[in-house]
Amino acid sequence: MAWWRSAARSVRRMPRSLKFELRAMQLAFLIDQSRCSGCFTCVVACRQWHSSELEVTAWRRVEAIEEGTFPNVGVTFFSLSCLHCRKPSCLSACPAGAISKRDEDGLVLVNPQRCVGEKQCGLCREACPFHLPQFNPRHDFRMEKCDFCAERLDQGRGPICVEACPMEALDWGPFDVLMKRHGVTGGGKGIPLSKESEPSVLMKGKR
Amino acid sequence: MSGIVQQDQTKVQVVASGGCHDCGGRCPYFIHVKNGKALRIEPHEDLKACARGYGYIRRVYAADRLLFPMKRVGERGEGSFERISWDEALDRVATELRKALETFGPSCVLCQGSSGSPGRLNNPAPIYRLFNKLGGCVYRWGSASAEGAYFAAKVTFGTHAAGHTKDDWIHSKLLILWGLNPTENIWGTNTSLHLLRAKEKGVRIVTIDPRLTNTGALLADQWIPILPGTDTAMMLAMAYVIIKNGLEDRGFLDVYTVGFDVFKAYLLGEEDGVEKTPAWAESLTAVPAKTIEELALAYATEKPAALIPSFACGRTAYGEQFHRAGAALAAITGNIGIAGGSPGCCDIPPVGVSPGPNMPSSPSLIPIGENPFEKKGPQEGHPLSFESRSRFKVHNTKLWDSILLGKKGGYPGDIRFFYVVCANPLNQLPNTNKGVKALRSLDFIVVQDQFINATARFADILLPVTTHWERDDYMRPWLGGDYHLFGNQAIAPLGEAKSDFEIAWELAKRVGIADYSERTEREWLEEIVFSSEDSRRDIGDYDAFRTAGMARAKVKRPVIAFEDQIRDPKRFPFPTPSGKIEIFSQALADLGDSRLPPIPKYMEPWEGPRDPLRKRYPLQLITFHFKTRAHSNFDNIEWLKELEPHTIWINPRDATPRGIEEGERVRVFNERGELWISAKVTERIIPGVVAIGQGAWYRPNEKGIDRGGCANILTRDEAGPGGSTPTNTALVEVARCEG
Repeated sequence: MAWWRSAARSVRRMPRSLKFELRAMQLAFLIDQSRCSGCFTCVVACRQWHSSELEVTAWRRVEAIEEGTFPNVGVTFFSLSCLHCRKPSCLSACPAGAISKRDEDGLVLVNPQRCVGEKQCGLCREACPFHLPQFNPRHDFRMEKCDFCAERLDQGRGPICVEACPMEALDWGPFDVLMKRHGVTGGGKGIPLSKESEPSVLMKGKR
Repeated sequence: MSGIVQQDQTKVQVVASGGCHDCGGRCPYFIHVKNGKALRIEPHEDLKACARGYGYIRRVYAADRLLFPMKRVGERGEGSFERISWDEALDRVATELRKALETFGPSCVLCQGSSGSPGRLNNPAPIYRLFNKLGGCVYRWGSASAEGAYFAAKVTFGTHAAGHTKDDWIHSKLLILWGLNPTENIWGTNTSLHLLRAKEKGVRIVTIDPRLTNTGALLADQWIPILPGTDTAMMLAMAYVIIKNGLEDRGFLDVYTVGFDVFKAYLLGEEDGVEKTPAWAESLTAVPAKTIEELALAYATEKPAALIPSFACGRTAYGEQFHRAGAALAAITGNIGIAGGSPGCCDIPPVGVSPGPNMPSSPSLIPIGENPFEKKGPQEGHPLSFESRSRFKVHNTKLWDSILLGKKGGYPGDIRFFYVVCANPLNQLPNTNKGVKALRSLDFIVVQDQFINATARFADILLPVTTHWERDDYMRPWLGGDYHLFGNQAIAPLGEAKSDFEIAWELAKRVGIADYSERTEREWLEEIVFSSEDSRRDIGDYDAFRTAGMARAKVKRPVIAFEDQIRDPKRFPFPTPSGKIEIFSQALADLGDSRLPPIPKYMEPWEGPRDPLRKRYPLQLITFHFKTRAHSNFDNIEWLKELEPHTIWINPRDATPRGIEEGERVRVFNERGELWISAKVTERIIPGVVAIGQGAWYRPNEKGIDRGGCANILTRDEAGPGGSTPTNTALVEVARCEG
């Protein structure tokens, strides 16, 4: 687990003497709607980082919720990628066994070699409450999605989206640690967090 | 290749680079390179790039990059080209240029450079140097972005470096963002983050804008929607309220300003019989009088308060007055030269200012020398007068008229030969359709660019330019900031692309300018890096600077404009004729142009909310900066384009009577032209106003209707009297697109 200790040290505001329950460890994202400006930097930073060999699809997306009537209008922005659910419905739906949940950190990962592709299947996307799995037309329409920058974590760096965000609206870490660090248990617009799949995400709403 | 460790090409090398275009930022990042190919980009730890920066890799390797010299084989504008050799291309340009100069003289050559390159070596300056050595030519003048602000700042404060570094915003009690939208147009790297810090510290933020921008939506406590072009009226009414309540900072006004009493008399109606009351302003701006009054009282009493003016409001019919009035408000409330305040005029911090290539004396550029053409004939005239400034140059908005009308129309020359470098004027200057006519009328057009953009389609010869990933360059923060960047070359030039400097030098050899350069490109770069006082202070060792890719300015932070002048006015006068802040400008009074009055005034804008033309074209159009483009750069990059559709914003109150629904394709038109675009029906824009993001590529159909959504199809080629380019002043009609 050395990778994760060094990665943890590289993250902003991460207490150095961090204690966590290894077996219960679940990495998660924090989405801060009070900071997200809807600039799409995370989307493109992610896409270019993962496209160095094969051009991938956009694994993140940014949503905007507009409410109210002129001139009393409000807009909430947030960025969304695979939420690495504790009980991933994509995993249960996949007939090819291409999706797995990693024991040590709870990441939901996909093995493209096993995926039969959207044209044959596409069940994972339908099963996902947020329709986040993407199919790459440049790779036989096989499924791909956020892998939490597992390769960067191994090198002691945080996910590219978190490090690129100009507004520090994204954060990452073990779910419990993230919860303590930001003092949130959830809440925010646009993502029903009480889904059966138990998404590994924390949200801060606008104040 | 320089700047990279060369040992093992098969290993990933990390190259310090950064900067894109005139996007509003200038951001460091690191490029991963393997086997001579750029793989991906790693963020800098604290100066954050945006989506455009991460999308740059797609721009460098775009399938439609211009990689070889080309000659036109079809009709002008048709976009049919054939690959030729560099020798053929340069010989042809040299021959045509010599022929034009010998036959008609320098006044027949127009050279248009703009902000298309972030580097201090590679930009239009090397070509300007060539033309000046050749005997000169006609250049354009006027910053398309900010001339209104520059004019006002020069008149009022004597300098356009009249802002604070953004880390000062946390010291304010109240931040008034007047048209400012940094979450989308950046306004200096990390500006949005500083704004967020201020908000999280409890600073109250008010945004005044026809649109609820992403900035307003996320960060503002209050959105005050306003009709475009009427901002000055609201500012005058705020000043009126402050004075009526006796809240003006008399001590500040007495010591540091001239002309307050003349301004006060105007506000009170003593000059024209019109009191500039909030009710008066409400009738012009659509902002409720009570809102104006409340903001005025807050601004006068919650000190320090910062009024941050956007250049956008200056890009209106009499945009100079917006920046002048903002400065007057800041002076009346004594918010100048103090932490948490702002001069309210031209938000450029006095650190790391990077003057444009159109300012010959500016440091950090290859010396361009003097333009001999401008030395011919009489030089007299008022320095602030539009006519004097247009004696030998052509204003941005008049480029097309100058080509079409020439000397008979009062322009400096009868243009035959047009050279375009780091610019896309057909797309980015007003009245594209007139531009098409103008370009069709010319003898010869050379475009030096990275893509075959709208202007390039009209070229006779296309010269391919490297991106800044393919060459070394020195970069300074966008408009000012407290760091320096070195963009190391990461990859070899693609195709046969050459740097702007190389092209100029090669061309110089062919037109017989033997003394074009006494240095190599690499020698010039080192010379330029150390050519200004601040870079000599901040950058110690050249090689260390290159390796790190960045050097921080050695200054006390935050940097506050006019701190010295306020602390010790006797020792540090303002660089104005009076040595004070000129609410009243004698220089403007001497100019005698009623459209440039000596005190800030509201003048009814042409094509504004009360223009009779509204009967035919009832909607005001604004053309805002779009978050996935830097002017016309990146519009061809799919990864960016698909993030947010290019649309026209229209309020349901305007859409419903026209039968327009969300996402539907609409026609937008006026007497200058027509474009087709999807509608974004949204409550986020004030009724009576529509908005199109500028920079989408002009893509006409056979009838000349633009299907690309280039906003300048609709804008008017009229200049502000002080030289502003009013791309936010135009009336249009919108209708459903049948068929």
